[in-house]
Amino acid sequence: MSDLVKRIMVYIDGTEQSVTAAQYAICLASFSSAELVAHYVLNTKAMSDLLRTHIFLQDEQTEYEHDMEADAERYLNYVAEMGMKKGVSVVKKRSKGSVQREIIEAVKDLEVDLLVIGELSRIRSRRDELYDETERAMRSAPCSVLIVKDEERVWNLYESLV
Amino acid sequence: MSMINLITEEIVKVPLVSDNKLDVMRELVQILKNAGEIEDYNGVLTAVQAREDKQSTGLEDGIAVPHGRTAAVDGLKLAIGIAPQGIDFDSYDGKPSKLFFLLLASLDSAGPHVAALAEIAKLAQSKSFCRALCNAETAAEVVELMKGE
Repeated sequence: MSDLVKRIMVYIDGTEQSVTAAQYAICLASFSSAELVAHYVLNTKAMSDLLRTHIFLQDEQTEYEHDMEADAERYLNYVAEMGMKKGVSVVKKRSKGSVQREIIEAVKDLEVDLLVIGELSRIRSRRDELYDETERAMRSAPCSVLIVKDEERVWNLYESLV
Repeated sequence: MSMINLITEEIVKVPLVSDNKLDVMRELVQILKNAGEIEDYNGVLTAVQAREDKQSTGLEDGIAVPHGRTAAVDGLKLAIGIAPQGIDFDSYDGKPSKLFFLLLASLDSAGPHVAALAEIAKLAQSKSFCRALCNAETAAEVVELMKGE
């Protein structure tokens, strides 16, 4: 049973849902003694698409990418601090490209046993399902995937962790 | 947060009554104000205009995606307007714009903003879907179409 989960990866994207997922992942890592990786993907694929479709300007793309770099740093540091408060070491990972592809590659490269992601949209449409990068990653990940729900309960779990 | 979660009847207006670009932007921002999504009308309008002044967000085939980031909003805000008559929005292909997605984000929401804009960009690729939206007669119909229910 000690080999059940050796390495957990939580996907961070700057949303409240992903922060909740990180809190849950910290609890899991603490209970299982698994290594925890926090992964932020700069969605440069989407930015390139926006430039191609004339929604973005070149300087706008540059500005957003710069800000997303800063967001990644801030959120990963925040997750690492949350882990540190509970005695859990968090490995920070940042990459650029297609969210789905980067998540899947990281799962394979790091030999992740369990992918933890935040709650997906409450309202799912058939159309949206085709486009949501995180949902696509969930469906195509080669490891088990855990979707974290109930922000309040997770917060209480995290807070009660000694 | 997915763009789909932002869609309610309160942030959709059919039809838009404006007949020029500046008034469309005002009308879209007013939708958010009326829906209680923003407080600082002028701050939001200034951000939208500033982006629009650099280059029009009027795309091809009657779709426009005015957007911007500003401290005047929290998180992501979306307003949808439909103008069946078409409005000159200095679009990329020179055609009048009929379907407007106004998407605003706070200054610290670059990632979620990009993700939501990308969702709109992908929706815009479906000509039949956009045509259906443009033919919608009520906000409820737009919401139903967007949520695919």
